[in-house]
Amino acid sequence: MSGSLSRTEIPEVGELRAADMPLTSAAAADAENTVSVRDTEDAQNARGAQNVEGAQDTDSTQGAESGQGVRGRASAGVGEPAAGSGVVDPVKALMLRHKELCERAVDPLEIAAELEAQGVTDRTASRFRHRDVFSLAEEMYARVPRGSEPAHSPAHSASARMDSADGTDGSPVGRSRPSSAPFPAAHCVASRSSGSFGARLGRFLLPLLPGAFCVLAVAGARLTHGQLRLGVVAAGILAVTLALRAALRRGPLHATRPTTASPAWTCWLLLYALVGDGLLREAIAGGPDEPWPVSVAPVVALTLSFAPATWCALLFTAAAHRRLTASRGLAEFTASVWPLLLGTFALYLGALATLLGLTARTLGEDPAYATAGGLGALLLLARLLSAHGHTRAPAVALALAGAAEVIALAAVFAARLPGCAAVAVPVTDAVRTWGAGAIPAAICSAAALVLLVHATRSLTRASAHAPSGGIP
Amino acid sequence: MRIGLLTEGGYPYASGDARLWCDRLVRGLGQHEFDVYALSRSRQQEDEGWVELPPQVSRVITAPLWAVEDEERPLGRRARRRFTEYYGELAAAICAAGAPGDLFGADRGRAGSDATVGSEADRFGTALYALAELARETGGLTGALRSELAVAALERACRAPGALRAARRARVPELLTVAARVERTLRPLSLDWYTGDSLGSVNLCHATSGGAAVLPGLLARHFCGVPLLVTEYGVHLRAHYLASATASAPERALLAAFHGRLAAEAYRRAVLITPGNHHARRWQERCGADRAKLRTVYPGMAAARLADTGESTGCADPDTLVWVGRIEPAKDLSTLLQAFAEIRAAEPKARLRVIGAPVDSAEGAQYLAHCKALAARLFPDPSAGAEGGSGGPGGGARPVSFEEIGGPEMPGLAEAYTAGALVVLSSAVEGFPISLVEAMFCGRATVSTDVGAVLEVIGGTGLVVPSSDPRALAEACVALLRDPERRERLGAAARARALELFTVEQNVAAFDEIYLEIASHCPVHEGVLGTAVDPQPFAVPAELHVLGSRKTTEPSARPARTPSWALSKPVPAGEGAR
Repeated sequence: MSGSLSRTEIPEVGELRAADMPLTSAAAADAENTVSVRDTEDAQNARGAQNVEGAQDTDSTQGAESGQGVRGRASAGVGEPAAGSGVVDPVKALMLRHKELCERAVDPLEIAAELEAQGVTDRTASRFRHRDVFSLAEEMYARVPRGSEPAHSPAHSASARMDSADGTDGSPVGRSRPSSAPFPAAHCVASRSSGSFGARLGRFLLPLLPGAFCVLAVAGARLTHGQLRLGVVAAGILAVTLALRAALRRGPLHATRPTTASPAWTCWLLLYALVGDGLLREAIAGGPDEPWPVSVAPVVALTLSFAPATWCALLFTAAAHRRLTASRGLAEFTASVWPLLLGTFALYLGALATLLGLTARTLGEDPAYATAGGLGALLLLARLLSAHGHTRAPAVALALAGAAEVIALAAVFAARLPGCAAVAVPVTDAVRTWGAGAIPAAICSAAALVLLVHATRSLTRASAHAPSGGIP
Repeated sequence: MRIGLLTEGGYPYASGDARLWCDRLVRGLGQHEFDVYALSRSRQQEDEGWVELPPQVSRVITAPLWAVEDEERPLGRRARRRFTEYYGELAAAICAAGAPGDLFGADRGRAGSDATVGSEADRFGTALYALAELARETGGLTGALRSELAVAALERACRAPGALRAARRARVPELLTVAARVERTLRPLSLDWYTGDSLGSVNLCHATSGGAAVLPGLLARHFCGVPLLVTEYGVHLRAHYLASATASAPERALLAAFHGRLAAEAYRRAVLITPGNHHARRWQERCGADRAKLRTVYPGMAAARLADTGESTGCADPDTLVWVGRIEPAKDLSTLLQAFAEIRAAEPKARLRVIGAPVDSAEGAQYLAHCKALAARLFPDPSAGAEGGSGGPGGGARPVSFEEIGGPEMPGLAEAYTAGALVVLSSAVEGFPISLVEAMFCGRATVSTDVGAVLEVIGGTGLVVPSSDPRALAEACVALLRDPERRERLGAAARARALELFTVEQNVAAFDEIYLEIASHCPVHEGVLGTAVDPQPFAVPAELHVLGSRKTTEPSARPARTPSWALSKPVPAGEGAR
């Protein structure tokens, strides 16, 4: 049985212990029993018979700080090929076996970690005439030819592979998926990972729901009278609110951080769009004495435009992610996203204008393009900014716009107090010159403009498109 | 003494890493007072709650490493400029060419060209502390660390001449990911732990792992002069390399460099470093740890029951081999089965009992099925087949049986190890081989493969063969099966070795000693004295701790002239041997 085996005592054990820990007498008593049964063929292949002594010496350096290790190392330099002794180069065989690892590694320690994880120890390394795994890994790292192939990074090839997979599975929205491998495209509707075609279609159509409810409610209110009408309006408002909440909870307009103040101000701005102009007109005229006309068309158009807004945001997010992977630098990315943002914004404004025209004609009202357009732009930008992690500026802008409208209304009423007539002069002058719609139009447009400037600065940065907190 | 225990995803959390060890340490050192500063890794971890805390844990302060905070107030113009400068320095130190291993570790013993190395490490450390000071002044840098400023600074550093080869190819998504990861690790910078009433008031900081957990320790050392002790049972940097294998090359290069620099800084600043085994020690030396600071402290195992059963070795079946462990591919059971075929050819009476922990993963179940199939093929059994199941010794004729711990035949680990005359470990990959230590406690002779820390654990008290070599394994097993006297001698030696090196008491006592050593070498800082005196050894008499409230040691009676031998700065422990 022992004919084919070479039994050698392991010298390093004693030294290791001596350096590291006290010995018990019992443990010492049995030290002669430590045998290492090595396969002779393997050992000879690896280092040749004449090197056995040296290899044992090299092992002894761990733990012991004597100069023996250095003596053992003298023959095998760190990055130096171990060839030259006539035998087959053992490291080369090892490199062939770990070809992929060697080519992929970014430093020797990575090779060392991976080799160790596959069971290579310092004793194994000594067969390759190295003191430890680290120097073996260093040699492997140094010997891999590293051509200058700058473009072909793994991420690149991975995304290329995925893209080709996209083509084969024939998914209808697959092409709009950003091809960024390192990003979890969580808030991207077209993300392949989530759900069936039906579910995706459902999420794609969800933004249409608020508009549909709104249209139904308005139609119901037109067709009914009295108590029933009140009930229909209440139910309609409830349905629209719930649908909006559901649609905002996910998708590209989902805010990364919850904000408390913004929803209230948004509601107030919409309420003003519904009743504000009429109230202002009545108030200036000395009223209100009787129910004043409400302007339904802007609100219906705005609710309907939630769907194009969502799709625009989706387009923006997806296109920005695509540019993110394609661009080589931050400046390049910013330059390419800037027109994209403005284009998205313009697209939404166009869609909103179309919807406004349609609803106004259908309902027989005046299409208040400036008022509703300004408010729509403000709301879209606020939402877009929140979705990319900038919650502070939108909250401030919405609050300021809402407060300005409150002040405009309050000023008119305050002017009725004795001695305060001058307070309302700017408002009444503006209304007389340009009409009641000019007040909210000016306020919302100004706020939207400020947000647009902010957005062109912040949303064109790469950091706004980083994966939001979801680092594994 | 008051110990600040720093953990990351660890101790007080019920699902934390190394919580057992920390728990034993804290419970074992009732004479000290522990403040636990814990960083949690996920919401799930926080929801799962804490383990029960003993009274010597005086307080637990936690901070999340995962939550996305509210948008912070943006930095002012001056703060932005400073942030850009410091982060740029940090990024430049990360991107500077040369792997961390090359820079710091590689043969520090040889007096080489350490000048550039030192300056690079200094650069990282300086930038880190500058960022920490800025965070302290501005109240948090979490937002800034993820902002465009940070990403742009990182990009500049990557494109600078002399940057890491792989980093030069970094694209925007990779830069963003790296910035986010760096921010996550650097989140302790923004914590308010570094004042006199929190981390500043402890006598020493004990970081229980590498990575983010050492950061509070480094900052406490920087701001309050608290000595730092780093314990690593698994080297964080190595774990990082293994975990990030699927990331793209620039990302891996940058993050590895960052973690390498951070580890080097921690090793440089720590007063003492305690690796858990020789393997960790080698990695630490490689990453720049000074040998004089390293003290290997083996993990302790609660082994009272195992050790009790080890007293009596007579009852075991002399022809049975036992394998105990979790059944998974890394354990290389197929080699064991092939070896056993050869053993059986030499010793027809031999039996093998494979005793596994209950299989919980699909991979484990698949591997178990594979092993059973292999066993059935190698040892065809006409009567029952080798589909052992949890059969146990009932099928006495069956050469190989697969059993589960907790089954009727095998109620506990102690029974498992003492079921046979010989314990075999056939792993292809192994870290610290717990089952081997347990077998040693039970006083069993062992045959193991030479992987991981096996050789270091077993010392001279068992046989070691090359891994994936069934023949060598078989030869060693047969030799021991035929020689009961040698088996007994080895078992006794193994037991004695385990009882000396791998008990909880040993572990706890070692840390107690290390705490006292650090306390005796590191001068008391002003936080304890309550007055601003220059820290000096023996400036605080022992009575101060006894009397507590009486702060009578006003250093008014200091000699007017300091003797010349006291002028040099006090040398922290371990650094004297440089």
